[in-house]
Amino acid sequence: MKLSDIMGAANLSVYAEIAMVLFIVAFLVIVIATFAPGRQKTFDAASRMPLDDEHPQTPR
Amino acid sequence: MNARLDSFSYDDDIVRKFLWATMIWGLVGFLVGLIIAIQLPFPGFNVAPLLTFGRLRPLHTNAVIFAFAGNAWFTGAYYSSQRLLKTRMWSDGLSKFHFWGWQAIIVSAALTLPLGLSQSKEYAELEWPIDIAIAVVWVAFAINYFVTLTKRRERHIYVAIWFYIASIITVAILHIFNNLSVPAGWFKSYSLYAGVQDAFMQWWYGHNAVAFFLTTPFLGLMYYFMPKAADRPVFSYKLSILHFWTLVFLYIWAGPHHLHYTALPDWASTLGMLFSVMLWMPSWGGMVNGLLTLRGAWHKVTEDPILKFFVVAVTAYGMSTFEGPMLSIKSVNALAHYTDWIIAHVHTGALGWNGFLTFGMVYWLAPRLFQTEMYSKKLVNLHFWLATFGILLYVVAIYSAGATQGLMWRAFDETGRLQYPDFVETVIRLMPMYYVRIVGGTLYITGMLLGIYNLYKTWAARPARYEVPVVQAAPLNPVFEEHYAPVTGGLWTRFAAARWHRRWEGMPLFFAVMTAVAVIVASLFEIIPTFLIKSNVPTIASVKPYTPLELAGRDIYQREGCFNCHSQMIRPLTYETERYGDYSKPGESVYDHPFLWGSRRIGPDLAREGGKYPDLWHVRHMFNPREVTQKSIMPAYPRLQTNLIDFPTIQKHVDAMAMLGVPYGDAVNRAPEMAREQAAQIAASIEAAGGPKGLADKEIVALTAYLQRLGRDLKNATAGSASPTAGASKPVALAPGGSR
Repeated sequence: MKLSDIMGAANLSVYAEIAMVLFIVAFLVIVIATFAPGRQKTFDAASRMPLDDEHPQTPR
Repeated sequence: MNARLDSFSYDDDIVRKFLWATMIWGLVGFLVGLIIAIQLPFPGFNVAPLLTFGRLRPLHTNAVIFAFAGNAWFTGAYYSSQRLLKTRMWSDGLSKFHFWGWQAIIVSAALTLPLGLSQSKEYAELEWPIDIAIAVVWVAFAINYFVTLTKRRERHIYVAIWFYIASIITVAILHIFNNLSVPAGWFKSYSLYAGVQDAFMQWWYGHNAVAFFLTTPFLGLMYYFMPKAADRPVFSYKLSILHFWTLVFLYIWAGPHHLHYTALPDWASTLGMLFSVMLWMPSWGGMVNGLLTLRGAWHKVTEDPILKFFVVAVTAYGMSTFEGPMLSIKSVNALAHYTDWIIAHVHTGALGWNGFLTFGMVYWLAPRLFQTEMYSKKLVNLHFWLATFGILLYVVAIYSAGATQGLMWRAFDETGRLQYPDFVETVIRLMPMYYVRIVGGTLYITGMLLGIYNLYKTWAARPARYEVPVVQAAPLNPVFEEHYAPVTGGLWTRFAAARWHRRWEGMPLFFAVMTAVAVIVASLFEIIPTFLIKSNVPTIASVKPYTPLELAGRDIYQREGCFNCHSQMIRPLTYETERYGDYSKPGESVYDHPFLWGSRRIGPDLAREGGKYPDLWHVRHMFNPREVTQKSIMPAYPRLQTNLIDFPTIQKHVDAMAMLGVPYGDAVNRAPEMAREQAAQIAASIEAAGGPKGLADKEIVALTAYLQRLGRDLKNATAGSASPTAGASKPVALAPGGSR
């Protein structure tokens, strides 16, 4: 029996749906994280990073 | 904050090196482009054997993508990354190795491609030893880059760097998987995959080469150099984060839109279309973000040629990322595929987006790197206008060429017959547009020459010694502590506070792994099914492997780059089957290592070429195409009548194919003998028809054998022929006129 027979019989199509759900969840998590309250300050500091070659904008 | 301060300086020497490499290879790549643009309307400019269209076209694409755009990315990445991370590159030695290694690879490409050493997969033509060298250089670059990330003195990693990281990782994955092949000699290999799988793998690669070599790295450059040049931060940092993640999640799926209506399974094609259409949104989000970065600075654009370059670059990004999704809609694609429309689309992106972003960046960098004023701002302005008009002439002409040819191919007359049954009619109609393209390209190159002169004069005025400013910054605290009040409350509150996200933003390696996971998972879900689920590639019993002589002919077909102008994939559309014959089935190319479906029809499709013309027709056609088709623009290949077939190596090639699982049977022991027998038969038929004598050991016979085989297996299946592999030289009456 070849690998392709096994794969063909395994009926894997359900995993496509699972992958889609995972992708949507990952995307939503990123959106929420990006627009989470209290992040504006970090982003403002981050967006100034290219403008100063000498001083770190987000040290710690 | 840590009290101790580190003193360090940035390595700008490597940036200067990459900057020169960008401009010089850019000029070379553009010039080769101009040469092949001239060769199309004037076939006499093909200088066989080294400088024919089929061999130079891959050189043009490789030079522009990997040499021009590649070096431009590295220029900007080495400059911006050190400053964004507040650290010098970890190893100057590795940076130099990356530079010289990359240039050596470019030189080897410039040498091997005109020699016809080609894997025949678009933008992945380089043969296996060079592929290995690319992998080695890439790994050195990646190691240097990732260790530098861990040495940084800035906690947050700026979004431009995310784009670089994703590009480095994805390019490595794409390069390795698309180039897996079985070597059959030092500069010959056969793709591990065949037919549908190979096509799928190739366009997964090909599309993502555009995505992760020409788009994401350049977005990184945009997010650094636009704010620099405009002297204000990016319009919305949040939008840039969404831009990044949506591109990473969506781009990798889009490849199958290059294979609409081909033998690729329909589900894959639809999947690619949907993801491509979705890509429109984040792309335009990014474009808007770039343009709005100039809010309140638009008055500067009128004075500053650098900002002009950036504005046109971002606009071109917007145009091509609107057009891309549109072209991936199947019904639009049916018209545009195989035509110059795609060439115009690519050049909006390459000349506009990549070219202008690079020029803007280079002109911004030059005074800083050479530590003197730019020699002439007027010349920069002149470069901008010449190049802008060059692009306009180029794309307007080539868009209309694409639409013209696409519409002519599908035109039926009132009786239901093809209105332009003669393919060459649809080619000569394009000639005026091809002349305009030459003018446009010349303008663009003139701008480039001015740029190089301007840079040279600036460089010549540099100080005797470059000043190397010393920067001081505190190292990052190894124990990263949050300074904010602890979040209390339920799970949701803690999640929404997104501390976890901030934490793994600070972990470059973890970040890199996450990006790789997004890319690999998507790739696996899309590609694996065609490899492992049988129903996706039905086999056809009558399809047999190529005979040893036909295989040798196929090698010649690949060497001369015939696939650059001739497709072997008839789409199931009435006007295609009417012109070329029955549409191509997935089972027909199961022994095609690599697949040769092609992507552009400058000449007609060849999938059903076998038996259409007698052998002698092919001999005369290759010797001088204009002898049989008066208006043909194909290069002449007279040498095929004198070049000897390399019979001993045929065995090696057959063995490599057998190793890939192609059922060669008897041929694994006596390939050269079998090839000689078939060659003698064909040579005899040519001689009997009144053709040249003594061709039995000449390359033209092998190529003829291959061309006469194309599409025969399926015809034999319907005719019920007993010997499907021996159908090379059936006598057919010599057709008058010659073209279809």
